[in-house]
Amino acid sequence: MRVEVPSMAMGDIAFNLLIFFVILARAQDDSHLNWQPAQAEELQSVANSKVSVVIDADEKIYVNGQQLGVSQLSGRIANLLGDAPAGDRTVLLKVHNQSKALTFEPVIEAVSEAGGDLFHVVEKENSR
Amino acid sequence: MRSRRTTSLLVEPPAAATGDIAFNLIVFFLVCASIQPDSGRPQTIPRSEQEEEQKEEEKHVEVQIKRNVALINGSVVADKSFVINLSNLLKNKPREDDRVVVVKSDKDVEYQQWIKVTEMIEQAGGIITIQTEEEREVIVD
Repeated sequence: MRVEVPSMAMGDIAFNLLIFFVILARAQDDSHLNWQPAQAEELQSVANSKVSVVIDADEKIYVNGQQLGVSQLSGRIANLLGDAPAGDRTVLLKVHNQSKALTFEPVIEAVSEAGGDLFHVVEKENSR
Repeated sequence: MRSRRTTSLLVEPPAAATGDIAFNLIVFFLVCASIQPDSGRPQTIPRSEQEEEQKEEEKHVEVQIKRNVALINGSVVADKSFVINLSNLLKNKPREDDRVVVVKSDKDVEYQQWIKVTEMIEQAGGIITIQTEEEREVIVD
């Protein structure tokens, strides 16, 4: 006996697969985190990067969507960057504009220690 | 007797294609959402070990960031004249090592203020090095 998958169900199968991969990708995503970017005058665009560090409005630190402590940060970033060549070691830093130096300075130091190229994600200033 | 001709101008898409249409719409919006690039400011910060070596070699320009003001070598400088003042201090220093600016921030300085001041330091041609205070717990018997 040969049982075939009904072709009518193909659309539903594809749809469910898509939802599965979207949810899987969202686990590493940080778009759901609550932070407000600081403003700056001169901005540049950046291509995709492997590592994204977020400090949210509650001063919690996330690496690629996963919450971490400052002490674990440098090792984790170094792991994610691996042996990537210079120019391909960009680390996006997304810090809430009211975050305090006590929180964000150790994060900047950790990125520097891990050998990452720091890129502050900020938005264009309207008027100064 | 005349037969009535029926011409239907309204053509509806087949219901079987609704799934495919929905699928294509989802793919379209996912692609649109993922291609928006981030914008911001790159920053080069020397590693901690290098910083210690440099500190021993010679004295660098020091910028202290407070909650609402910034100080260059201990003197309060207004935002408008900050870049000019710092440029003057770095003017006769062609080597990169000499243009290192040591940045010290108060604990309560907000990121917005920090970004503003460090942007001005880079505009003046300075290379930022962060200096943080190490907290040590001393237990007294």
